[in-house]
Amino acid sequence: MMFVARCLGVSLAVFILLYVFSSFAVSRVWKWFWRALRPGSAGGAADLLFFLRILPPGLSTVFTLAITVPSFLILEPHSTDEAIGTVPITLGLCCLAFLAAGCVHAVLAQRRTSRAIAQWLCGSSVMETSGSVPVLKTADGAPSFTVAGVCAPRVLVSEAAVAALSASELQTALRHEMAHARRHDNLKKLVFRLTVFPGMSKLEGAWSEQTEMAADDGAVSCLRDALDLAAALIKVSRLSSWQPPAALTTALLHSSTALSARIQRLFNWDQKPEPLMRQRRWWYVSIGATAITICFVLTYSSMLTGMHAVTEWLVR
Amino acid sequence: MKIFRFRRVCIPQASALTKSGMHSISRFFQPSTKIQLGPLEQQLLHLLWQRGNATVRELLADGELKLAYTTVMTTLDRLYKKRLLDRVAEGRAFRYSPHHTQEELEKAFAGETIRHFLSSGTTSSLPLSYLVEVVSEHDERLLDELQQLLDEKRRELKRKEKQ
Repeated sequence: MMFVARCLGVSLAVFILLYVFSSFAVSRVWKWFWRALRPGSAGGAADLLFFLRILPPGLSTVFTLAITVPSFLILEPHSTDEAIGTVPITLGLCCLAFLAAGCVHAVLAQRRTSRAIAQWLCGSSVMETSGSVPVLKTADGAPSFTVAGVCAPRVLVSEAAVAALSASELQTALRHEMAHARRHDNLKKLVFRLTVFPGMSKLEGAWSEQTEMAADDGAVSCLRDALDLAAALIKVSRLSSWQPPAALTTALLHSSTALSARIQRLFNWDQKPEPLMRQRRWWYVSIGATAITICFVLTYSSMLTGMHAVTEWLVR
Repeated sequence: MKIFRFRRVCIPQASALTKSGMHSISRFFQPSTKIQLGPLEQQLLHLLWQRGNATVRELLADGELKLAYTTVMTTLDRLYKKRLLDRVAEGRAFRYSPHHTQEELEKAFAGETIRHFLSSGTTSSLPLSYLVEVVSEHDERLLDELQQLLDEKRRELKRKEKQ
């Protein structure tokens, strides 16, 4: 029993230490990293920012499960009746409080969003569209265009927006929302809530802006589409003043300040050939993953020994 | 760069500025720590934003500045001491580069202006209501301008398609 408690305490302690240090490092250097890599497309930029945002929790989880726990189970003698130690207990409790805070944050956001969606869906009707994502027409009072739902996203369009937009503008705006649904942006927002850390709001804000542009790119295939989407953005802006979207939803207008930049970008839309970097992205990713796996396998036993020395130091 | 031209602007006491982003920049905006940025300082900062980095000689070689070498050197040194520029030694001279991006500094300036404006009224909600009014008007104007541009682009596209 004491062995299991010690294993748990040590694992949680290592997890929280790694999580805090890596999150702090990412919150400080992400801008530099992003500028240095300069992804060619908005989608690539959004993916990179998302990767950076989830790197600390991902890294901490993988490290804890693949190194800390096995090193303790293999190298720690089961027979010793050692106490857990003050440091692992304190850090372990901090870790549990941190994880609980993330869960509460996510649950509250989900509840707030569900309440808002339920309100918007009063008197809604299904719209006939060609896309794979269901589209619902909502009564007035709801936002003009919203993607709601984390696992099964739906697009909500207000009656006012349907009336204001021409058929082609409406189709392009719907394609924009469907691009958000395809990219699982609401699910990603939920992940952000679960892995809350102070100082990450700027990174999340930059990710939001890039996802809007990525969705714009996903909706547009020619200059005519780009102009239709720009017209839709202008008309929707006139319909109502900008409000921040409900927690786990995505709206057509990200923020009033980004609107002008987005429209200018659409005016200058040009179908560029896919950058070479993007075409070969999966090659680079698989080469990197293989290299990391080989290094991991080759150094695994020494990593376990080193980790065990660290945990011994923590327990003392 | 309109915001920095033709008038003296207030910027934060730059020695207090750090690279850690806008939050830290705005944090250091206190009325007591504000300093003035003169026209030449603004011009040099603008040139360095355009070029990325430069030595005094390179700035003078561009031909945009009709000033003495020592004047430019002293002004750049002043901007460095205000922590608005970074510099590295290159031979017997220094190579200067901006410490903050233009966007960062403009954001900080706008934030400071709005903060001062909001705290200027006797009734706290009054400046805010003016601001909302002005921003709404500005938004409407901006949308009108964008709509005009859109109409133009559409006409252009139609012409191209006919051809």
